[in-house]
Amino acid sequence: MRRLLPALLLFIVIGCRGGDSAPQRRTLIDSRDTYDPRTLDPALATDVPSGRAVAYVFDGLTRFTPDARLEPALAERWDVSPDGKVYTFHLRRGVRFHDGTPFVARHVVSSFHRVLDPTTKSTGPWVLYPIDGAREFADRRDRSIRGIVAPDDSTVRITLSQPLSIFLKLLAMPVASIVPDSVGPDFREHPVGTGPWKFVEWRHDDYLLFAKNPDYFDGAPRTDSLRARIIREPSTAVAEFEVGNVDLLYVPEAETRRWEQTDERNATLAAAPALRLWYIGINTTRGPLRDVRVRQAINHAIDVDIILDRLIGGRGRRAAGVIPPVLDGADTTRTPYAHDIGRAKQLLTQAGFPNGIDIELWHSDNESFSRVAQSIQSYLAEADIRAKLVQREAAAMRAAARNGETDMVLKDWYADYPDAENFLYPLLHTTNRGLGGNVSFYSNQEFDRLVDQSRIELDSARRVELYRRADSIAFADAPMAFLFFYNELYAVQPWVRGFQVPVIFNGQRWVEAELR
Amino acid sequence: MIAFVLRRLLLAIPTLFGVLVVVFLLLYIAPGDPVMEMVGERADAETIARLRAELRLDDPVPLQFAHYAGGVLTGDLGTSYITGRPITRDILERFPKTLQLATAAMLLAASLGITIGVLSARRPGSAFDRLAMGGAYLGISFPVYWVGLILILVFAVTLRWLPPSGFGRVEYLVLPALALGTRSIAFLARMTRSAMLEVLGSDFIRTARAKGLRERVVLGRHALRNALIPIITVLGLDFGNYLTGSILTETIFSWPGIGRYVVNAIARRDLPAIQGSVLFLSVVFVLVNLATDLLYAKADPRVRYD
Repeated sequence: MRRLLPALLLFIVIGCRGGDSAPQRRTLIDSRDTYDPRTLDPALATDVPSGRAVAYVFDGLTRFTPDARLEPALAERWDVSPDGKVYTFHLRRGVRFHDGTPFVARHVVSSFHRVLDPTTKSTGPWVLYPIDGAREFADRRDRSIRGIVAPDDSTVRITLSQPLSIFLKLLAMPVASIVPDSVGPDFREHPVGTGPWKFVEWRHDDYLLFAKNPDYFDGAPRTDSLRARIIREPSTAVAEFEVGNVDLLYVPEAETRRWEQTDERNATLAAAPALRLWYIGINTTRGPLRDVRVRQAINHAIDVDIILDRLIGGRGRRAAGVIPPVLDGADTTRTPYAHDIGRAKQLLTQAGFPNGIDIELWHSDNESFSRVAQSIQSYLAEADIRAKLVQREAAAMRAAARNGETDMVLKDWYADYPDAENFLYPLLHTTNRGLGGNVSFYSNQEFDRLVDQSRIELDSARRVELYRRADSIAFADAPMAFLFFYNELYAVQPWVRGFQVPVIFNGQRWVEAELR
Repeated sequence: MIAFVLRRLLLAIPTLFGVLVVVFLLLYIAPGDPVMEMVGERADAETIARLRAELRLDDPVPLQFAHYAGGVLTGDLGTSYITGRPITRDILERFPKTLQLATAAMLLAASLGITIGVLSARRPGSAFDRLAMGGAYLGISFPVYWVGLILILVFAVTLRWLPPSGFGRVEYLVLPALALGTRSIAFLARMTRSAMLEVLGSDFIRTARAKGLRERVVLGRHALRNALIPIITVLGLDFGNYLTGSILTETIFSWPGIGRYVVNAIARRDLPAIQGSVLFLSVVFVLVNLATDLLYAKADPRVRYD
């Protein structure tokens, strides 16, 4: 059934063109959300649609720009103690919540307490665990978090239990947004923040509507309102874009080439490297996969370039390590594993498997992943690695991988914050085996030591060097098949000005964008 | 009649209880963990343990079931693990939209399907009949997914007569209702035609014609009325299906109905949402079946329920 889609969409492409004239509306319409956000309460936001909406309505102490730089938000500036443990934030004055209440330091303290309070049932409290006393408070051992105080209305002092180089980036995550004092039970449906957009309406599975906050401290958005439509089916989003009903479209992978090559279309294409890695987690504790040579053989067997070109529309860059090239710490000179069947067989023989091995490759029922898994299976077969495909629905696959029940699992990783640490630590550090995201169950003392050191290293040049060395160790150990870093591709209507492709999911807040 | 309705409603209770048990157990043995879906890609063991405790997921299964069933008896379907919203509110918000879509599709199906069927039966083998039955054949065979996309392509993108997707005024309803109803239109047309042909061969039709009744009266009042039973069966079954499973149509047309809600809930392992909506939809199905049975009696006075 789904195979008919490409043919059908070709008709759409040939049959019509993007809406040429600017619409009369004063509402920006986004079409990126594919499912209903979980909540608009920052404490509970773990999914991408929620994270985007939270970024419209709320501010944190810091924030990301579309190109993933960190900049001050509610904190105007900050000082860090020489030992890297004490952060003193000087807050912006004169900021008000959408309900008119002035924002003061007390709100930072109460917001962070709220996230860590077990009754809030927040799903992302780990973001604030680095604060001294945070875990004790979350476990109900302390009645407040000793590491956060507000000496006056415009100062917040946060003490960490140990230095953490990425702390300021953690504070730009949705969970760390600042909320007002009185948060009613309906807050998740009617959020009130300080952000550029005021919440207006949420029609579940249909759209979210926001109105501009004319008093936004950084200058009001340039359009009156913002509508985030929720469109599940990519072909439907394409149709909506074609008729000019939406201003922004996430171009489906299968259509990349068509959009890139059809120049009669008026839409502007905007691409950016995403902080997203496609990889195969190779469980380093199972059977023949314990041998590094077998894992390297797997890397040599797969022709990633062909997969990228034929199945992903060329939207990506081969990975030689886990750090995306746009982040500090990536070694762009490192050569990826070459596609070399002879070498793969040789490595297998050296490892004691001259007749090859039999393993399982798990993947989700997502269309792109299924296609990539099938092609990987045939590449592996050429090197006598007989992979049985196990297709499960995403939740089941995730559970199995985290429980260590998968030999190999094809998946992707989308960064929470733009830092190499967000790849090295969750995906490969011993602490995070299983639940934390390390589905390779990789454990290497030297790697761990370098990553641990990078997390407390305050000098950025030295930190970058640590990242690079850790990444290089992981690359050689091959606890995963390194596939590629994904590129996002958007189509923007010709009448939209000032849109920048966000590298990180919550980096685009539509403040600068306008309709002309 | 009233006794019949009451009896049927009472009989529905064990059915629904069975549904409740089966759904609960199925979800319990299905792979995937709701808490893992709640915490997202990056989780820590403490948070997971804390959430499991808060949600009472570590209780023994019979206790969990008793807890849940107790809530259901008092009309409380619980709150969603993922969104924290009451399930009842979620369902009441979405079901009317599905009802609207299903009703529109059924109205289309009933009016178009029956008309085409009757007209075909009037002159079997005529050009109209062959065309209509050929079309019906295609209509039954086309997957709803494909029909939906074609409709969007033709009427929304190329002709720009109607919006491609979304929920709103009546123009938003046309395409999804057509996509959803296509199969029913086609099926009803064939069903009506064959039922009519059978009736048209009966003696009483010859008598009616011999009396000199006009053909329209013969077809409409005498023949169709007697052909209604199978038609009602199809209408009832399809309506039940549309109310409970118009998932593809709702997905393609971004229709915020209950079908998408259930699919989302399943993907996120939102147990209370899945259980609540399956139970609710079972009630709907039982009621639609009951209504269908009552319509039989209305259509054919020989059918009696007492």
